[in-house]
Amino acid sequence: MTTRNSAVWRWPIMLALLTVFGLLSALLGEGGVWWPLSWLALASPLVAIGACLAAGIDRTARH
Amino acid sequence: MVVHKWTSLACTAFLLVICLTGLPLIFREEISDWLDDSSSRAELPADAPSADIDDLVAEARRRHPDMIVAAILIDDAKPQVVVWMASSWADFQDAGRRRFIKFDSRTGQVLGESGSGKSPGAAFVDWMLHLHADLFVGLGGELFLGVIGLLFVAAVVSGVVLYGPFMRKLAFGAVRQGQGSRIRWLDLHNLLGIVTLSWALVVGVTGVVNELTTPLFALWQRTDLRAVLAAQAGTPPTVPELSSLQAALAAVRGAMPDRFATSAAFPGSPYGTPHHYLIWTKGTTPLTARLLTPVMVDAHTGELREILTLPWYLRALEVSRPLHFGDYGGLPLKVIWALLDVVTITVLASGLYLWLSKRRQRDQVEVEAGRG
Repeated sequence: MTTRNSAVWRWPIMLALLTVFGLLSALLGEGGVWWPLSWLALASPLVAIGACLAAGIDRTARH
Repeated sequence: MVVHKWTSLACTAFLLVICLTGLPLIFREEISDWLDDSSSRAELPADAPSADIDDLVAEARRRHPDMIVAAILIDDAKPQVVVWMASSWADFQDAGRRRFIKFDSRTGQVLGESGSGKSPGAAFVDWMLHLHADLFVGLGGELFLGVIGLLFVAAVVSGVVLYGPFMRKLAFGAVRQGQGSRIRWLDLHNLLGIVTLSWALVVGVTGVVNELTTPLFALWQRTDLRAVLAAQAGTPPTVPELSSLQAALAAVRGAMPDRFATSAAFPGSPYGTPHHYLIWTKGTTPLTARLLTPVMVDAHTGELREILTLPWYLRALEVSRPLHFGDYGGLPLKVIWALLDVVTITVLASGLYLWLSKRRQRDQVEVEAGRG
């Protein structure tokens, strides 16, 4: 299976954008909803790791 | 590949130390509060009036008549004022020789004093901070770790360059099982590295900028601050005594009602000017609270002389601080910061493992080839 370039970078770019948004929203936003938004956005890489590892374990279990 | 290997290897050991010591430092305020019991502070209503700063300074002088008062720090989170002193200005530049007295900013009561033995919380945080930022050797250590930070940034960038071609045959986030631990750790290294890429870059770059604090401030003092002083030359102090610091702070508040004075350097300070109180003010929004504005108040006439504008490189330094420390979005942000730090530690450790296991493989091949 060969993945095209755009597919290789889709998730990394999405997570990078979310991270940058999270880093800036708590800094530039003045309290309110900006803090929780920042937490959600910055937690997205952690969620991605969890999801990928869970999918891997699932795949192994099914084999 | 070569770039990724050598930049990583050169910085991994130091970076592991930086990441491990950085972990408790994310929570340094919480650790200090938890280990240092400040229950001696009086319970007063929130709108209790503040003590006169001049009285606190006078009390500090009375306790240490042989010392100079160098600076004061006004805490905006807790009702306290710290007065810094030293035997001489030279001593003040040596962190180990500075003395301080901590006052309750409302009652004027002394809460603590240096020399009575460092509290365990402060000592622990200090120790971690040295390991993290200067390896106990001051400016040389700061610059060295700055270079290590640059190597880390180069390692991250070269890792991303390798990621593209490597992943062409794999789905995103695939961690291949059942093909040996080397393949599993390689996939994990790639996954953890790529998802935390921009966080690691931001914390890396801002870490490097933070290591340049000392030279950047020295540059500002030698250029901009000196130019302002030169423009004011020809007005030597007419009154020998220092004017009231409390009045100087009031003058600053009058001129900038939306800003809060956080510290003041006394005249003669190596971090100030010869004839002024250099008063640092901060704003009230999350961002402007990081962008400090220094104000010069004549320390003899009490007149507000100049509101200074910091140059771009000090602004960059100020913005770098929160983005490195992760201390600007409440406790949840700190927890996320810590988790991302743990992920980075795993990337570093797995990278080291991958290099070692490849070397072992190659050695084995060579041994077998030798036998054949």
